[in-house]
Amino acid sequence: MNELLQQFLIESRELAEHATDDLLALEHAPRDAELLDSVLRAMHTLKGSAGIVEFFEMEQAVHAAEDALGAARRNLGVPERAVIAQGLACLDQVMEWLDAIARTGELPRAAAAARPVQHDWSAALLERHPDALPLATTAIRYIPDADCFFQGEDPIAHITALPQLLAFEMQPAQPWPPLAALDPFRCNLVLLALTSASLESIADHMRGVSGKHDIAALSSQGQRLDQSLTAAARHVLASQLALVDGSPPPPFGHLASAAITASNVLRFCGGDAEADRLAGIAAMDRADMHAALRAALSGLLADPPEEKSAAGRAPQPAVRSSRTEGTPRTLRVPAERVDALVRLTGELTVARNALSHLARLAALQGNSLAPLLKARDAAFGQLTSQLQRAVLTLRVMPLRAVFQRFPRLLREISEELGKAIQLKTIGEDTEADKAVAEALFEPLLHVVRNAADHGVEDPALRARQGKPPTATIEIRAARQGDQVLVEVADDGRGMDVDRIRQTARDRGLATEDVLGSMTEEEIIELAFAPGFSTAGAVTHLSGRGMGMDVVRTVVERLGGRVSIQSQAGKGTTVRFMLPFSVMMTTVMSVQAGGQMFGVPLDSVVEAIRLPRSALSAVGAARAVVIRDQTIPVVDLSQMLGDHDRVPDSTETTLVITSFAGQRCGLEVDKVGEHLDIILKPLDGLLAGTPGISGTTLLGDGRVLLVLDVGEMLQ
Amino acid sequence: MADRKTVLVIDDASLVRLYYRSALEEAGFRVQEALNGLEALERLPGMGADLLIVDINMPQMDGLSFLKALRQCDSPIATIPALVTSTESRDVDFAAARAAGANYYIAKPVNAQTLVNFAAMLSGVPR
Repeated sequence: MNELLQQFLIESRELAEHATDDLLALEHAPRDAELLDSVLRAMHTLKGSAGIVEFFEMEQAVHAAEDALGAARRNLGVPERAVIAQGLACLDQVMEWLDAIARTGELPRAAAAARPVQHDWSAALLERHPDALPLATTAIRYIPDADCFFQGEDPIAHITALPQLLAFEMQPAQPWPPLAALDPFRCNLVLLALTSASLESIADHMRGVSGKHDIAALSSQGQRLDQSLTAAARHVLASQLALVDGSPPPPFGHLASAAITASNVLRFCGGDAEADRLAGIAAMDRADMHAALRAALSGLLADPPEEKSAAGRAPQPAVRSSRTEGTPRTLRVPAERVDALVRLTGELTVARNALSHLARLAALQGNSLAPLLKARDAAFGQLTSQLQRAVLTLRVMPLRAVFQRFPRLLREISEELGKAIQLKTIGEDTEADKAVAEALFEPLLHVVRNAADHGVEDPALRARQGKPPTATIEIRAARQGDQVLVEVADDGRGMDVDRIRQTARDRGLATEDVLGSMTEEEIIELAFAPGFSTAGAVTHLSGRGMGMDVVRTVVERLGGRVSIQSQAGKGTTVRFMLPFSVMMTTVMSVQAGGQMFGVPLDSVVEAIRLPRSALSAVGAARAVVIRDQTIPVVDLSQMLGDHDRVPDSTETTLVITSFAGQRCGLEVDKVGEHLDIILKPLDGLLAGTPGISGTTLLGDGRVLLVLDVGEMLQ
Repeated sequence: MADRKTVLVIDDASLVRLYYRSALEEAGFRVQEALNGLEALERLPGMGADLLIVDINMPQMDGLSFLKALRQCDSPIATIPALVTSTESRDVDFAAARAAGANYYIAKPVNAQTLVNFAAMLSGVPR
């Protein structure tokens, strides 16, 4: 894909998202003129970009949407819902096109084929008015709104009042209908005019009139001035000066060709007198030519003949840039590069662990370098942790990027369900690692869908309960130390504890006795059990995608936790606690069967030492009762293949782990220190080894296998 | 265009010559072609041209050698404006072309409209 198209993709996506957000906001605050302006600016730039890459279908589509919104601004000041919907649909289409371009690397074929013939109305207009040609500087095409008469406008009076009018013509906008069908109250005119006034004064004159108008600047000769070409002409002239400027003076051929080229450029730009002068210079002998040409070119470049028109006027109505002033300077860097930097920084941190190990070793051996090593290690450690923090902020993004997709989605969901739901988002500025933020979207979406589908009552029921007819779903985020808290709260009916209990009984998730002894909170927790779904009918919405068990798995994979709080009749809150970053993992090192393993600290509940007699056999397996809870116990070394081990002591060490609500005790020989590591996934022959999520290098060079607790428990 | 301008396209790549020719002829130029600098030098005195469009990398005689030789000629052909189009687009390439006597330089790939615009400008098509 070429660079232009790439840039177009990046920029257009931003603009389209921006415009979509503003349109959605506009729906709730239709009188907010600033929002409308912002939408129009974004669309305008979007349209312009589409034109540059010659994606005419998109240009036209955006133009139509922009027009409709612009008309709303002029006529009423308040865009109708239908117009906003049209704008949203257009932006949807734009996003689809952009996705297609990103996939294929080229413009959609149908769209590319639809390039219209660009007819140059201003050139045609000039041709019809040869008498106006020498003086005309500006051409105007004005298409008033069909209902402009009702706004007290008189388009003909307006255009004939243009300053320094040279020529004026009128055409029907649509072919005239038969007289009987003619609606004399509708304006069906295109008004064209040529004037010798400046583009600015014409733009002033046309300000505030309804409908569409195009204003084009013409060169002094009455030709349409192509601004880029004029800049190009200047550049070519400067090149001739550079060609001539060498010392010693360049050969005759250089000088004469430069003089002829300069003369040609001027003739091309319409400066015939100057062109003749330079042609004369080309006929001089070498010494004279050098001096004369230098003087002439320097003079031309200091006061370029066409510059005044190039600087002040554009061939199109002035394009306001949507790039706002005062935006902080930013650098676009591909995500892979940042990811690579994050990875390298992590590896540096681990490498530094080796230095710490060395320093400790030196101290143990009484080496004289030990204090120096320790000091260096401390300094190194400080730097690496600073680096780590700095690098992390590179990959941090505000959760807004995730949250902003929800207004749109909830709008669709609520329409589908026929429930009025408003979304509130709080704390969009809360930041999290990109990996966390991106992985958060799916689980969050599922929870929001659930809330809308199961949590929010039907409007009739809400009315009977005295609740406001419009339900509220709130997504809020906040930073809590090293963690990010994200909550989805609804004001719906809350979770039906009896129904959950019933379902759990029906599905055989727990026995009657167990269910009877469970607290309400514990019963609500059952919603996370695999295969649990309380909805009487699997609806279109909640029935697709993941279940709550998958939500939990995804969140726990990220090293986070999820919980539910619910109050009957008041609503449900689902709470995600997520790590700020997934770059480093903290593991607890354990020894089993003479081998060292890492257990992710996130899944460790506690480590306890207890007499071996506390373990009781349950069939072929073993279990232990801790604080009235029966927990299965697995011997880690046996599980990993060492079956001949003979217990050598009367005590044993258990690491109690928790995954997806299930607890399990891992029997190990010894519990070691906590380590900050970067997990490297297994690759090559070892890829896919069950129960192992990855490896890391220890300070002393040994490889630590990190256990995948979830997989092991299955 | 009342008096048609003649452009000599000097490029060893036939696709490039074809592309340039079609764009330029459509815009009203008369187009001649040469496969390398040597051929151009031999034919120019008899043919004359209003503009040369010169490639750099060519067999037999490359564009820079051609321009140097051309500008040293004691003949009107020494003064014909030359537009270099080349894939080499570093500043040093621009400077080398200028030192050889190129009047302007555009980097390939050149879009048809750009080529026509510059051809019109450098050959002095009155507008």
